[in-house]
Amino acid sequence: MPSVSLKRVSPIALPGRPARTEECHGWPVVLSYAEEGGGPWVADLSHRPRWDLQGPDLDRQQPLGHTIPVRPGEVHLAGGLLINRLNASQAALWHLAGDFPEPPTDPALTEVTEATLCLALAGSRLFGITEKLTSLDLAAPGHTAPRLLQGPFGHVPCQLAVFPGPPGPPMLVFTCSRGYGHDMLHAVLAAGEEFGLRPAGQATFEKALTAHIH
Amino acid sequence: MNRLKHLPTLRITPGAARSFTYGKHTFEGLQGDTVATALFANGVRVFGRSLKYHRPRGLYSLDGECSNTLMEVDGVPNVRTETTPLTAGIRVAAQNVMGRPELDLLGVLDAFSWAMPAGFYYRMFHRPARVWPLAIQQIRKAAGLGRLSPDFRMPGRFDEIYPAADVCVLGGGPAGLSAALAAAERGLRVILLEARPWLGGAFEYRAADDGDGVALHRKARDLAAAVAARPEIRVFTQAPAIGVYSDGQVTAFQRGGPDQSFDERYIEIRAAAVVVATGCGERPLLFEHNERPGVMQPACAQRLARTWGLLAGTEAVFSVGHDLGLEAAVDLFDLGLKVAAVADIREDGQDPTLVKALAQRNIPLLKGWVARKAHGGNRVTGATLTSVNGRFHRRLTCDLLAAAAGLTPATGPLTLAQSQLAFDPHTGYFLPRTLPKGLQAAGRLLGLESWAAVTASGRRAGLQAAADAGADCQAAIRESEAALRDLPGAVRGSKFVIAPGCGRKAFICFDEDTTVKNVDQAMAMGFDVPELIKRFTSAGTGPGQGGIPGHNLPLYVAQTGLSPDAHPRPTTARPPLVPTLLATYAGAQHDMSKRTPLHDLQVACGGRMERVGVWTRARRFTDDPRCRTEILNVRTNVGLLDASTLGKFLIFGPDALKALQRVYVSDMARMTPGRAKYSAMCNDDGCITDDGVVVQTAENDYYFTTSTARAGVTVEWFRYHTRYDGWCYHLVNLTDAYGVLNLAGPKAREVLSRVTTADVSNAAFPYMGYREMAIHGVPVRALRLGFVGELSYELHVPSSYMPALWDLLMEAGRLEGIRPFGLEAQNALRMEKGHLIIGSESEQRTTLHDVGLGFLWQREKADQRLVGAAALMQTERQPGRLKLVGFKMADPSGPPPRDGSPIVDARIRGYVCTARYSFTLKEPVGLALVEDGLAQEGARLAIYEDGCQGQLTHAVVTPYPFYDPEGRRLRQ
Repeated sequence: MPSVSLKRVSPIALPGRPARTEECHGWPVVLSYAEEGGGPWVADLSHRPRWDLQGPDLDRQQPLGHTIPVRPGEVHLAGGLLINRLNASQAALWHLAGDFPEPPTDPALTEVTEATLCLALAGSRLFGITEKLTSLDLAAPGHTAPRLLQGPFGHVPCQLAVFPGPPGPPMLVFTCSRGYGHDMLHAVLAAGEEFGLRPAGQATFEKALTAHIH
Repeated sequence: MNRLKHLPTLRITPGAARSFTYGKHTFEGLQGDTVATALFANGVRVFGRSLKYHRPRGLYSLDGECSNTLMEVDGVPNVRTETTPLTAGIRVAAQNVMGRPELDLLGVLDAFSWAMPAGFYYRMFHRPARVWPLAIQQIRKAAGLGRLSPDFRMPGRFDEIYPAADVCVLGGGPAGLSAALAAAERGLRVILLEARPWLGGAFEYRAADDGDGVALHRKARDLAAAVAARPEIRVFTQAPAIGVYSDGQVTAFQRGGPDQSFDERYIEIRAAAVVVATGCGERPLLFEHNERPGVMQPACAQRLARTWGLLAGTEAVFSVGHDLGLEAAVDLFDLGLKVAAVADIREDGQDPTLVKALAQRNIPLLKGWVARKAHGGNRVTGATLTSVNGRFHRRLTCDLLAAAAGLTPATGPLTLAQSQLAFDPHTGYFLPRTLPKGLQAAGRLLGLESWAAVTASGRRAGLQAAADAGADCQAAIRESEAALRDLPGAVRGSKFVIAPGCGRKAFICFDEDTTVKNVDQAMAMGFDVPELIKRFTSAGTGPGQGGIPGHNLPLYVAQTGLSPDAHPRPTTARPPLVPTLLATYAGAQHDMSKRTPLHDLQVACGGRMERVGVWTRARRFTDDPRCRTEILNVRTNVGLLDASTLGKFLIFGPDALKALQRVYVSDMARMTPGRAKYSAMCNDDGCITDDGVVVQTAENDYYFTTSTARAGVTVEWFRYHTRYDGWCYHLVNLTDAYGVLNLAGPKAREVLSRVTTADVSNAAFPYMGYREMAIHGVPVRALRLGFVGELSYELHVPSSYMPALWDLLMEAGRLEGIRPFGLEAQNALRMEKGHLIIGSESEQRTTLHDVGLGFLWQREKADQRLVGAAALMQTERQPGRLKLVGFKMADPSGPPPRDGSPIVDARIRGYVCTARYSFTLKEPVGLALVEDGLAQEGARLAIYEDGCQGQLTHAVVTPYPFYDPEGRRLRQ
């Protein structure tokens, strides 16, 4: 039987003209779009690896060599890896930038890349967009470090990592069930229309993430 | 109509004309007009007709508090024209009119008001009984305002917004503005909601001063400018609050416009503290014909002039009970209105400055007098005044009767927030006796009138709200309280409600045409407290949400001395406080449904997509609603179904098996590697809630499926039923991570073998087997099941690969005639096989035994405290239960009965769960839940179908499965 290389498909397709693309682990990835503008922008990160981590002693675990934040809602950003503490026995790991790591063998980690849509939204008017989609107070003052919220976004349960900035632009990375991808994108684009929301590629996202890391 | 020009308070732009049509006329208004003021400027005085008596109605309050000025605008009925900005090109039409507003043929009903006493529809036309259906038709035709076609689609752009704040201030008058500033000074985020298009409240149009020579409107605008300069304060104008809830939740809507991205948007605010500074309205004065066009509130007449440059008449009579009414008379006189007289309910207590100002203008002030009757038809032509003792009368000619009994606080938000209101005899207001935590009240709402007191009250409330939100400002609060104590307190208010000598037509509620006489009638029939009277007479239940009857109803009822409520109590306010479009509540209308990874491919294949629960799924792939070709293709060739919506879960950990044992009825310890185990879950009542298969993938590691409907609650279900055990296990919901392709049919194996190198022979991969295989490098979990009654493989594939796998299988099966099939075909196929869908062949009270799945129950595992075990024991042989049976129609040439049709004899004995024509058996077959007395083979079932007109169809209980009862095809 001749082997066929099967393509993977993201839950969504952003409505823009890709300028640079690459294939990564079977995923077609847009690195940049034509006319991305200066923000706000939305980037599809659904191809980036994500894991669910559950266990009774998370504080002692070091998934992919990193410690897990202690309190629920805390976020640890190390390189391209974002570790979100969800509750006493659960954390979410999102590998958002850089080379894909080797799949971890720890049975406490379950890969859930395919389970969710993952989008990044950023720009100075980010919270004008997000307040049309959620009653969660993403713009609450007094936060300088990234943090995690769990709740409705576009009326759908989501995990939301908020990067308030500076140094980077205000940014939100969130996941929801993959099946909601189409309608979530529709809601996000509609909410962002009045703010000039445009699609952006992985490179633009990584630039913004780097700004937050530094 | 000429407008007043050069007033500093004007909100119109002279020269910026806006053309619009009203009926057959083309009119011009000005930028800044509302639809109502533009119509008024063009001479329109009768805006519409009343609900019941079709009496002419005109401009009364300008804040849309009654239905008087509801009109049809651009085809949308019941638009509140008093608060709708005029835009160029709109089409306005009167409603509830047969003819013209000025000449309504149904106006004759007014002469028959005696035939429509309070609650007449409860008491009349009911005997003989056959009259009522006819009467109700006519009443319904006459009732209601506006016309809406069933296929009406609301035009416009609607949106929603969920901002958060530390402090939310309701009301943009001086108290609200001061509160917002005080909270913002503490560095808090403040949201301020104002119903009008601008800030300043009752002060922004007033030319009077507060003794310091600075006009109130100037002070109001300066304060508004200070608020605008604070980045911490976010102001929403044209945004009335519609709901206030616990924990600082406030709902509102905001009107937008051409320059904004929405026409109307829903606002839902979360705040740590709320300040209610919604001020006062004028309390209507009740007298004969108190709603004639030309009768309006004094502030309405004053705002018409000051804000829109329109004098409401040429000669006016004022009948008031408050100083603001006197101020309006003086102000309008100065603007050119002739004032024949001012009647003041109060014998004394007027502001001497205003009394002097009236005297200086030679305006007669009649203390202790009140309007008794308005004369005229479509317009007021005169007024009869009377002394409050009713002994002396005076008739005056006028075309404007500005009347109000006094002021009344806008307490709706306080009531919604569960504040206790009590009547205060000094102010005549219902004042908050207690305020819930996190809620403050301020300003005129509390009876304050002077600028200094109102703003100081606002500041105090703002600081208290800031403290509620966590700011440290106790010292500032003490200072603000001290400052407030040195200022004038609440003013004495009028409690007067109704003029002496009124006849039948003194209206307490304009919306519902409820008169004082109707209230008397209701009380005479025993409805003697305001809440009951409100319901019996409909007073306050119209589109104005009680804005006009307001507090008059409880005040009047208390004054009768006939009510057990000796102390007036306000009637309950409920959200929305302001009528709100359903389209606004719907907001941006994002229909958030889930799509499978194959959605687009199925659409391309002709799939008819339907919303099924949270998912959008393919019902069928042809025009044939019975799906004949799809069904037969599965029976004879091979079909491909997208079953991605199945719940899919991973459970792992040392206690994972215990958790499975707790919720699954079978003995899950008997699972063997490479084999799938079918089982079911029950609730505590032994009623079946779910079924699916479980496979063991490693030690303490299991993968299981649930029904689509239960996928969303499965994790909670496990956690809830093991919450006290302290077990160590973990659940991961992989429902969206894997798509599922169901390759089914006698040729399924041939197709599958073409895409994988794995051995899929019957020996290597038998029925109920589980294998992990690769298809062109893609890891696939494969289950050999048979839901549709054929050889079939359930392929669980990472979602991103699903389109590629679909294409691969469709190509691989081309020679075998592979076709997609949808939910309808699946339903017919599985029903022929006698396989159940929980929810279709079960209901809330259906146990495992009732549907014939009792064999799954492993009763020996009592130590695991199986969910529902006790109930399963009790119901196993319980008589009188509905049992699942198969049936065939007595006349096989007829159609199958509709799902859900009752099975009857002298009473309902059960119902049809699912019935379809079986293309395989060439006759209709079905499954039904029937009482156990009808569950024996051969029992005859009589089926009632909607619209059968008594002609029952009959069926005979038959053993099932109907198709392949030995299960050979599954195992082939």
